[in-house]
Amino acid sequence: MALGFPRGPEDLMVAADGTPLRLDKAFSWEAPLGLHGMMHTVLANAHAGDPYKIDVLFMYMANMAWNSSMNPGEATRMMTEKDPATGEYRIPHIIYSDAFFSETVAFADLILPDTTYLERWDCISLLDRPIGSAHGPADAIRQPILAPDRDVRPFQDVLIELGTRLKLPGFVAADGSRVYADYKEYIWKHERKPGTGPLAGFRGADGAGDGVGAPNPGQLDAYVANGCFWRYDLPHEQGYFKHANKAYLENAVRLGMVGTADQIVLQLYSEPLAKFRLAAQGHGPVQPPDRLRARTARFADPLPIWYPPFEEEMEGAAAYPLHADTQRPAAMYHSWHSQNAWLRQIHGQNSLFIHRATAEGLGLADDDWAWVISRNGRARVQVRLMEGVNPGTVWTWNAIGKRSGAWNLADDAAESRVGFLLNHVLSEFLPPDDTGKRLNADPMTGQAAWYDARVRIEKAAPDEASETVPYPAALRRPKGMAAAPSILRYNASKAPTP
Amino acid sequence: MTSLPQPAKGATKLGLVIDLDTCVGCHACVVNCKEWNASGHSAPMTDQDPYGSKPDGVWFNRVHSYEAGTGTQSRTVNFPRSCLHCETPACVTVCPTGASYKRAEDGIVLVNADACIGCKLCSWACPYGAREYDSDAGVMKKCTLRIDRIYNQTLPKHDRTPACVSTCPFRRPGRPGQRGVAAGGRAWRVRPDAGDGLRAHQQIPAAAPAHRIVAAAAAAPGRNRRRGGGRAAARLGGPGFVAVKQEKTLLFSGKRALFSLD
Repeated sequence: MALGFPRGPEDLMVAADGTPLRLDKAFSWEAPLGLHGMMHTVLANAHAGDPYKIDVLFMYMANMAWNSSMNPGEATRMMTEKDPATGEYRIPHIIYSDAFFSETVAFADLILPDTTYLERWDCISLLDRPIGSAHGPADAIRQPILAPDRDVRPFQDVLIELGTRLKLPGFVAADGSRVYADYKEYIWKHERKPGTGPLAGFRGADGAGDGVGAPNPGQLDAYVANGCFWRYDLPHEQGYFKHANKAYLENAVRLGMVGTADQIVLQLYSEPLAKFRLAAQGHGPVQPPDRLRARTARFADPLPIWYPPFEEEMEGAAAYPLHADTQRPAAMYHSWHSQNAWLRQIHGQNSLFIHRATAEGLGLADDDWAWVISRNGRARVQVRLMEGVNPGTVWTWNAIGKRSGAWNLADDAAESRVGFLLNHVLSEFLPPDDTGKRLNADPMTGQAAWYDARVRIEKAAPDEASETVPYPAALRRPKGMAAAPSILRYNASKAPTP
Repeated sequence: MTSLPQPAKGATKLGLVIDLDTCVGCHACVVNCKEWNASGHSAPMTDQDPYGSKPDGVWFNRVHSYEAGTGTQSRTVNFPRSCLHCETPACVTVCPTGASYKRAEDGIVLVNADACIGCKLCSWACPYGAREYDSDAGVMKKCTLRIDRIYNQTLPKHDRTPACVSTCPFRRPGRPGQRGVAAGGRAWRVRPDAGDGLRAHQQIPAAAPAHRIVAAAAAAPGRNRRRGGGRAAARLGGPGFVAVKQEKTLLFSGKRALFSLD
């Protein structure tokens, strides 16, 4: 029932010789429990042809040339580097879909302009990250409220179309005819297993089914009539101790949320991790490559363990005495494109926040310029002093910095001139050791170690107090994109006339 | 200049209560306010240079984030700042045309754009910087307590709230007789004999450290009574809460700005 959760080495996505099947190496011995996927490894692996060469890199909603990469300078180098032997790009083709002129658009061979959320159907499904709560399951839809005024197409429609034209299983019937006209039809018609689909509400021919039921052609209409969501309120006696609540578990089976009503045993001793450790110790038919054997045996510990972050155990770590991390400003959460004309007035530039005592020890005052230096690189940033941070930690807002010219902002917008990414001093890799190339990630889940970064701070010279570094050249506005307006007067026509 | 109205006996006075202890500075109130007002009577909420190096727009609510205190006693204070709909609003009495006015029936302070000449005297007079000049339209604009919704009888009662209140992720459940419920805060009806101070605005637990008492603008404790609800009056200055009058000095001295929409 649990989607994609490996129960042991037999569930890994590896070839007989242990080679990863996925480009990002998730669910391989590099990251056996890589449930989130490993976006941070995709570009580097495609560039290196490791574990295999690819022809087309197809990306959506991931700004890999900028804030979604752990090292944007390296990422853009890998996207543009050519193989001297053939004169071809090492990543031969890049297709990218975005609704906005993000930094990554400039690196694509083919751009598929996406719609915004206001111009398409979507579902916020129980199968993904729904809107439910402890009080009961709930899911929701989005419906288009604007007709697109430009040549764009919902990315999900594009995927349905591609799947159909490539005659992928599930997209065409036995006679070769298409199954789904578009994503809107997919939402109500698709069944992951009989009776279970993207939306849990208003299922069945009569639309009365909760959780499970046959596909209902009127399902989306029913959602719209119900305010675009569905919610099932659990009876009060089912609201507690759900893993061992008989009434809840039986109801959950009826709603299609779990397979059986057996008590869910919470594992303190993790049986799946023990299986990976046993494999590393030589047991069983599915074996790790020898170079990862010791690592797997150490970290696939069935009991909770703590160990120092890899960066802190490396030689020379003392030269980088400070932790560096980031957080997303609350105002920017769920703002897919990271900024807009309103939000950029709230967070239009970022500073590096340093504890007052730490900063004063470095001779730094508010708005001074300083270098953040890590084992990977240097960035020049403006600093702010604060009390409410650990003296050994510096932090900044995430993804406020933009590349000059991107997002149709003025070349001298604060986001590019002063705003910065801490990403420039990070890397998706640790220096290689005797196990070979090492990911800067959790060894079991593959989660990128964004927060393990170690840095030191040095005050910038007086003649360096100008703009942030790195400050890559401004991107040129794409052909056909109009210049940004100099003033916004939304709904001016509604204002009372004098 | 413009006179203040004589409130009718028993007239409602509306204000907004914000609990600074629960505000995390998420700006949801700021954005929802701008979105509502950009689609309504106050439109446009003009943005100058919106994609340039110095964007500058009209906002009726802004959150200022400060740090106060040192060491383990330091605190981040997020201060949502919209109009307080003062008891004796300086922005009204200073207005040369009568464009700025205070409603007798509920105490809401509004601007009649047709009578506004854009002289900006009100923005100079307002101690909170709550006035918003639209230089493109040439008129002053401001928070209306979402007057174009809170009296909409076609909506369920719990939906008749200001935009900042309705979107606040930390708002408290409403109770019968309450006008609105907010940021951890509440819009209260206050009796007209509440005194001469500014309108009740910030709800502050008595145990709060002094530095958290930011912009607690209130009338004399014990004299503000919540109307409705059929119970003994809940007092703004009653048990568990203090009301403080020194709003100006507390607000603007001894605080270090961290990040602000300004």
